[in-house]
Amino acid sequence: MIQAYHLYKTYGRDVEALVDVSLHVEKGEFAFLAGPSGAGKTTLLRLIYRDELPTSGQILVNGRNVVKLPERHLPYLRRSIGVVFQDFKLLKDRTVFENLALVARVLGMRAAAGKRKVAQLLRLVGLSHRANAIPYKLSGGEQQRVAVARALMNDPMILLADEPTGNLDAELAADIMRLLREINAKGTTVLVATHDQDLVREYGRHVLVLKQGRVVEDYGDGR
Amino acid sequence: MIDRLRHTLTDALTNLGRAGWGGLASVCTIAVAFLIVGIFLLLAQNLGAALAQWRDQYQVTVFLDDGITADQLALLKKRIANEQAVRAVAFLSKVDALQAFKKELKGRESLLEGLGENPIPASFQLRIRDDYQTPAALRQLAAFLSRLEGVEEVQYGQEWIDRMAAVLKVVQLVGLSVGVALGLASLLIVSNTVRLAIYARADEIEIMRLVGATKMTVRLPFLLEGLIQGGVGAGLAVALLFGAYRATMYQLQMTPGQVYGLGLGSFLPGGAAGALVGAGAVLGAFGSLLPVSRLLRA
Repeated sequence: MIQAYHLYKTYGRDVEALVDVSLHVEKGEFAFLAGPSGAGKTTLLRLIYRDELPTSGQILVNGRNVVKLPERHLPYLRRSIGVVFQDFKLLKDRTVFENLALVARVLGMRAAAGKRKVAQLLRLVGLSHRANAIPYKLSGGEQQRVAVARALMNDPMILLADEPTGNLDAELAADIMRLLREINAKGTTVLVATHDQDLVREYGRHVLVLKQGRVVEDYGDGR
Repeated sequence: MIDRLRHTLTDALTNLGRAGWGGLASVCTIAVAFLIVGIFLLLAQNLGAALAQWRDQYQVTVFLDDGITADQLALLKKRIANEQAVRAVAFLSKVDALQAFKKELKGRESLLEGLGENPIPASFQLRIRDDYQTPAALRQLAAFLSRLEGVEEVQYGQEWIDRMAAVLKVVQLVGLSVGVALGLASLLIVSNTVRLAIYARADEIEIMRLVGATKMTVRLPFLLEGLIQGGVGAGLAVALLFGAYRATMYQLQMTPGQVYGLGLGSFLPGGAAGALVGAGAVLGAFGSLLPVSRLLRA
């Protein structure tokens, strides 16, 4: 589902964010991208949904070469990928419902269908009762779940989650992980980036360890 | 599709509400610019209408010798009517001319009492074809006519009609340049206002892009917002202009009919008013699209 070959990403002249990274994540896998902060996890994710282009190397997502994708096809790549951002990127001046509905509109869903989808996903993440809340009135765990729900609005083939348990205590982190597993069980390929070694030990099946921009370990099978 | 359009429109209106003072600034800027342009348009139109009417009414007058015979008169009329430049000839006898003059002096007819014999000459009133209404052609015609037998004098009001035409040209030119300058200025102000609004909404645009919005999807609400702001601004200007026009007419104590008799006092025709509103909308839309496109390229 995700294949990367010899990815290099250099910022400026000498900041090497990624060095010769190659990886394979199969369809339906639940994979971890582990490693300390600054190892290049976020950069790698951004290359996958093409928020940035690699300095060199190729990435294939669902068989399509992301690097060579023409600009006008970019929206359709992004619609096949759901992203849970590290900083959530929820709009502060909209309710939870409106945050999700924005995606429905971007996808060109009919109003009624969009509403149904939002309600369905809020049920999935257990936040139906907070639909009309403003994000900053929510707890960290709740915001995280809204971010997950939004990433699922487009029924993505791939879900990328960047530190989805970042600021959460162990119990809430476990909630989120259960949720991600549930989503994975329905067929979505999930790739989670985390610096949390406990999390990787407990849930990790296919694990890629990044250090200073290099893949230093790649073990397990995500099925 | 309709669903989507309604969505986008609702969005645009919501966002206009969110834009608040910034949006109002755009609307006001466009309103002021179009008000000034509208004033020039109105001036130019009324001057033009007056000019056309005066041109038609006061053209060449051929005053006749008192001693002209009936034969000479008939011949003269034929010769004048045969001139290429002449569209129509009307004869005004001494008696009729005096009557007309008395009418103009209404209330002060006593002024004429001491004159005894009718001092006003008979005349031919000539209407000139449009393509001969140039100073040179009229001068030539006047010179020719004044040499004919039985002609006392030839008069034509070309000089001050020319002066009026020159004034009209200046008004049109000033109006055009002021319009272009103000149009550019309001384009800048609108796009600046929108740029601020866009910075405030950079998060929204980023998310839209990240979840797979096409550029058009991002642009459309801004386009509509600009369209509405521009249209409302220009509409406001037309409404203000109409109000000012009616107030002026009232001050002058003239009904539209009366003023129209002078070739004055018509408001911009519906088409022109519509075109102004349309131009405002287009201006607003462009003002909005410029900064959005820049952001999307980045």
